Parts: sequence; structure tokens; C-alpha cells
Amino acid sequence: MSSERAHTNYVAIWVWLVVLMIAGVAASYLPLGKGAVIALIFAIAATKAVLVALNYMHLKFETRLIYAIAIVPIVLVLAMTLILFPDFVFRR
Amino acid sequence: MKTHAATQAIAGIPPGKIAVWWFLASEVMLFGGLIGAYILARLGSAGWSAEAAHLSAPMAAINTFVLLTSSMTMVMAFAAVEKRDDRGLRTFLLLTILLGFAFLGIKAYEYSSHIMAGFTPSTGSFWSFYYTMTGLHALHVLAGIVINLILFLMARGRLVNGHRVELAGLYWHFVDVVWIFLFPLLYLT
Repeated sequence: MSSERAHTNYVAIWVWLVVLMIAGVAASYLPLGKGAVIALIFAIAATKAVLVALNYMHLKFETRLIYAIAIVPIVLVLAMTLILFPDFVFRR
Repeated sequence: MKTHAATQAIAGIPPGKIAVWWFLASEVMLFGGLIGAYILARLGSAGWSAEAAHLSAPMAAINTFVLLTSSMTMVMAFAAVEKRDDRGLRTFLLLTILLGFAFLGIKAYEYSSHIMAGFTPSTGSFWSFYYTMTGLHALHVLAGIVINLILFLMARGRLVNGHRVELAGLYWHFVDVVWIFLFPLLYLT
């Protein structure tokens, strides 16, 4: 396990994170529709989060149990937000 | 012989690691609930983008850079302890602590400039969410600094083991991930 971890290039991951951060800031200035810009910005943020979780939190070396503990609350939060979505957005 | 629940590995995973991931799962619900409420309230009411325009995106971008870098130094501290490199461990822990303080310093400067411009938590819904979300996150950064300081002091006495650095790292990276989402949610949209 630790020998696999030793192969992870932490500096390269950091370079990717910084590049994605700059890309996210740049995307907010793109002359696209607001929806497209927001989708792009959050796709970039999600990519950064996945990079941190897989490499820095070593999720890619973990077992299914840890994945389950990590993913269930994310699904719950998304479900909670989506269930309330119509109420807030269409009642204006 | 008695079995020791606190030291027994579950499915090959040390219990401390399961405990930290479990704790982080509850943290996802805490921040996720706040973020979900913010998104819904923002979509359901007008004029929040104009309020958000008062925030300084460049300053938050610098803070994002600081926190991303601190995540790298934290994982380097873990890599150092795995290689039994005491000096590297202390150096990277100290760098992580200093970057944490840098983050809080920039955040404090942002807060004071907002307050001087008249934007307090009671100015409006956007500002209530802004101060609650970033304030709760800043408290998490502060807690991470305290944990890393304890590890740093233990490392000076050579009392630290890799497992503890890994667990503290999981928490620190999680706090980084929360900021990865707070940054675009508050500053870029």
C-alpha cells in the first residue's frame, strides 16, 4: 500500500490543482450564457475536489468501505437539495 | 484474552481511519446542508449576484492557492513520516501551519474590509450566508492548525507516528475541498 502511495506525484497534482483554479477564474469571464459558465465553473471545482480526494486523501488506495462512507453523505446532500429545488425555484 | 475494539482493524482498515472518514461524512452533511440552503435561497431570490460582486475574487483566488498549497505540504509531511524523515516531517508540518495562518490572515483582512464598507452579517441574506459559511470554514482551518501544531510539537519530541499524520491530513484535505466549493459558490458566480 505505502509503495503504491510513494508513486503518487504530489507536486504534479498540485500543479494540476493550480491550473484548474486559474481555469475556473478565467471561465467566470467567458462570454457565454450564465448557465454554461456556472456549469463549467462547478465542473472544474468538482474535478479539483476529486483530485484532492483520490490523491491527497489516498482514496484511490482505499477499500469499498471507505468509498461507501465518503459517497453516501454526498448523495444525501444532493438528494436533499434537489428535492427542495422546485419549491424554491418555481415559487418566485 | 480480551479483544480491544479500539485497536482492532475492521476489514483491514485501522479504526482511526474509519472514525475520521465517518466524522468527515457528518461534516459533508453540515457543510452540504448550508451550501444546499445557500444555492436554493440564491436561486429563489433576486439581487444576490449584485451583493456577491462586492467580494474580492482576486483575494479569494490567492487564498485558494494558499490552501491548495497547504494540502500539498500536508501530504508531503505524511510522505516524509513514511520515509522516517523527521526533519522533512517537521518542515512540512510547519509550512502547513504557516499556510493555514496565511489563509486566516487574508480572510480576516477580507472580513475587516467588508465590515468597514458596511457589510455585516445582518446586512442581508447573502451576507448572513457568506459570514456563516466562510466563518464555519475558518473555524475548521483554525482547528486544523491546532491539530497540526500538536503533531509538530510531538514530532519535535519524535513521538509522532505516520498514522496520526495521515488522519490529520484527511481532515486538512477535507477542509481544502470545502473551500474548493465555497470559492466558486461565493466569489465566481
